[in-house]
Amino acid sequence: MNKEDLIAKLKVIVKPYTTNTVAYDNLNENTDFINDLNINSANLVDIVLDIEEAFDIVIENADMERMLDVKTAVEIIETKLAAK
Amino acid sequence: MIGNDVVDIIQSRKESNWQRRGFLDKLFTISEQQLINHHPDPETMVWLLWSMKESAYKIYNRQTGIRAFIPLQLECCKISQNDKGFTGEVHCKRFIFYTESEILEDIIHTKALCSKGLFNKITEVKNAAVVKDISGFPYIYGHQNKTLEPVSVSHHGRCHKVVKLL
Repeated sequence: MNKEDLIAKLKVIVKPYTTNTVAYDNLNENTDFINDLNINSANLVDIVLDIEEAFDIVIENADMERMLDVKTAVEIIETKLAAK
Repeated sequence: MIGNDVVDIIQSRKESNWQRRGFLDKLFTISEQQLINHHPDPETMVWLLWSMKESAYKIYNRQTGIRAFIPLQLECCKISQNDKGFTGEVHCKRFIFYTESEILEDIIHTKALCSKGLFNKITEVKNAAVVKDISGFPYIYGHQNKTLEPVSVSHHGRCHKVVKLL
């Protein structure tokens, strides 16, 4: 899966937790889940769980701790997919 | 320094499913999960512990400048119930934060401090004009608008709280 496809898939995942539609429409690598998309921090865990299900990967705590923006999420998913 | 967090349980029911598989494992330590599972009202316990972690994290984040999603490193302990609500501690690395939580009409409000003795020095600021510094930390203008006083801001569902230390 290339990076564009991966971001597109991630974009679908974060949609239900997003309250800032302008930032959502402009979602890119530099988008921050909390500061830009206005996602409630309790929902970060839902995003992590949704990513695990959608990509069939396991995200460890050390990775979850860094998963605050699109760029890091993509990096982690890519690493996990490559290790499969 | 002060941190606070509100959870509107009515809102949480719309936004989160705490019974979802994996949810508790990613947010709560084994001993915290035992507290939740053994409590007669596990839902309230979930959001009480969560608000303790969030309020403590706000101090940790402001003190260290470190931003991370570290629910499992913020360990809630020594929780006890009194007539006003709950008191407890949140341990994170070398830090200990003390918390007091009130629960009223399905709204949990937790305040965290670095020192146990200062809870009577916390005051709620109504209609606050909050400004943020370059790191995003909130302040209000103090005496004759000449000083900036750090505050902690939390908003969820029906509730918006701004608190500061006197």
